Amino acid sequence: MARPKARNKECKSRSTGADASEQAPTLAELQARFQDALMGDDERVLDLIAENARERTEVLLGVYRNAYVVRLIDFLKNDYPKLAELTGDEQFIKLARSYIAAHPSRTPNARWFGAKFPEHLATSDLAREHPVLAELARFEKALNDAFDAPDAPCVGLEHLAAIAPENWPELTFAPHPSVELLRLETNAVAIWQALEADETPPAPERLAEPQQLLVYRQALTAHFRALGAEEAMMWREAVRGVAFGVLCEMVATFGGEADAPMRAGTYLKGWLEAGLLAGTAAPSATNTD
Amino acid sequence: MNTTVEKPPFLGFGLGLRTPHYNDLLDPDNEDAAAIDWFEVISENYLVPGGKPLQVLDQIAGRWPVVMHGVSLSIASTAPLDYDYLDALKRLAARIEPKWVSDHLCWTGVHGVNLHDLLPIPYTEEALEHIAARVIEVQDYLGHRIALENVSTYVTFAHSEMSEWEFLSELARRADCWVLLDVNNVYVSSFNHGWDAKTFIDGVPHDRVVQFHVAGHSDMDTHIIDTHDHPVIDEVWELYDYALRRCGPVSTLIERDDHIPPLAELRSELDTARRIAAPVLQAAE
Repeated sequence: MARPKARNKECKSRSTGADASEQAPTLAELQARFQDALMGDDERVLDLIAENARERTEVLLGVYRNAYVVRLIDFLKNDYPKLAELTGDEQFIKLARSYIAAHPSRTPNARWFGAKFPEHLATSDLAREHPVLAELARFEKALNDAFDAPDAPCVGLEHLAAIAPENWPELTFAPHPSVELLRLETNAVAIWQALEADETPPAPERLAEPQQLLVYRQALTAHFRALGAEEAMMWREAVRGVAFGVLCEMVATFGGEADAPMRAGTYLKGWLEAGLLAGTAAPSATNTD
Repeated sequence: MNTTVEKPPFLGFGLGLRTPHYNDLLDPDNEDAAAIDWFEVISENYLVPGGKPLQVLDQIAGRWPVVMHGVSLSIASTAPLDYDYLDALKRLAARIEPKWVSDHLCWTGVHGVNLHDLLPIPYTEEALEHIAARVIEVQDYLGHRIALENVSTYVTFAHSEMSEWEFLSELARRADCWVLLDVNNVYVSSFNHGWDAKTFIDGVPHDRVVQFHVAGHSDMDTHIIDTHDHPVIDEVWELYDYALRRCGPVSTLIERDDHIPPLAELRSELDTARRIAAPVLQAAE
């Protein structure tokens, strides 16, 4: 059976190469060296690569080195498309390369490679100068996470109708796993919306008041909506397990006594309609069962 | 040890499941969708907690036969097998009941790092022993044979002791696994390393080939890169014809990972595959 032509070249390469006397590496040594070449500028693996009739081995190794970085940049671009649009290719690649060097992938799934990109961005000089960048990344990550978060049944308004009035003060709420509340200090969302609509984004700016934003999944698509400070406060407390009776008191303290239970009830109704809750519990009811 | 085993069924002509085609595929009246016999899904794309990917996958698996094709098994790596990953694969397989599960004859990283690339191996007895033992371990864990695909390579190692096809054949025999023969990868590697593509196809165990991949690539003049972003070229179709004549009817997949065209365009590539395969299918009847 014909041997690969490369083998003939190999013999030549090994008899004339600098490492001709080198013992054949173990598979583990070869892989360590190959990986070093891809992740850094250590090129010792070239000693192990057979000569090629058409192309220099440096160029062929370069196919892998290039593909490694390009693929990871693509993963990030795929997860953070608006950030890439806002920064432009050159800056994005710079940020991506810095992330790739600091956080090599340790996951079998490309989906999770970019999970720490927003945090990493926040530490970069560019993002310190332009805080909108890290916030835009956080927002895009929240959308991605909502999209494929665990499935759970959503409870609707009819569910609440079945709860006896005397159990309402004790009622606690479990958020749907797709929901995340973000607090953003810049106009990152306005920029995202403009880019999504193919419009020129507004200039980045720090907001007078932080923007509170619920990101969640509805009908298999990631959605978001802005919340007032009071509703955001109530959501935060509700997902910590605070019961409805206490939530009403907190709302009263936050925004005034008058109509406080009505306001709390309105927020709750909105959450149920948007599918933000996966369950409720009324301890006194279950205790007596 | 080399017992005759019954191959999984011939599935016909399929496509990789890709998000731009979701709407067409979920439309029960779409004629292009109806013309596709089966789907290959990238396992990792569906190893997510929930939401649309899994919901769509359930619907696809409910209508078409599916096979799972992974990119992270890293079967040739000297790093320990990732049992969290295997466990996730096993759960996905239990959910969608694929006709088979495949990955690549390559490694993707060591020391806890995933380089997310299909990296080349030296064709040595040491590697053969190592990989065969791992394939057996994976098959034991998953409870069925896996198929391993020949990858495109751009370098070979000076201390290789055998050809790629000898290595692949011996591995399949020792580990008792299936072969996913990527015809485009044979073409790409044959060009890059200067061997004869038909010799490769002659050299693999035809009774173990359960699937063909046919794809396009990027010609860089001195070397070819396996980019899966172009239509299939005539030379690869010729090689596909040759492989069919050697192996008999084998489930065929048109693979496109980038610059994904409309479903109708891929359907016409599938029709080309069907035309080429027709005489072999007739002869097998």
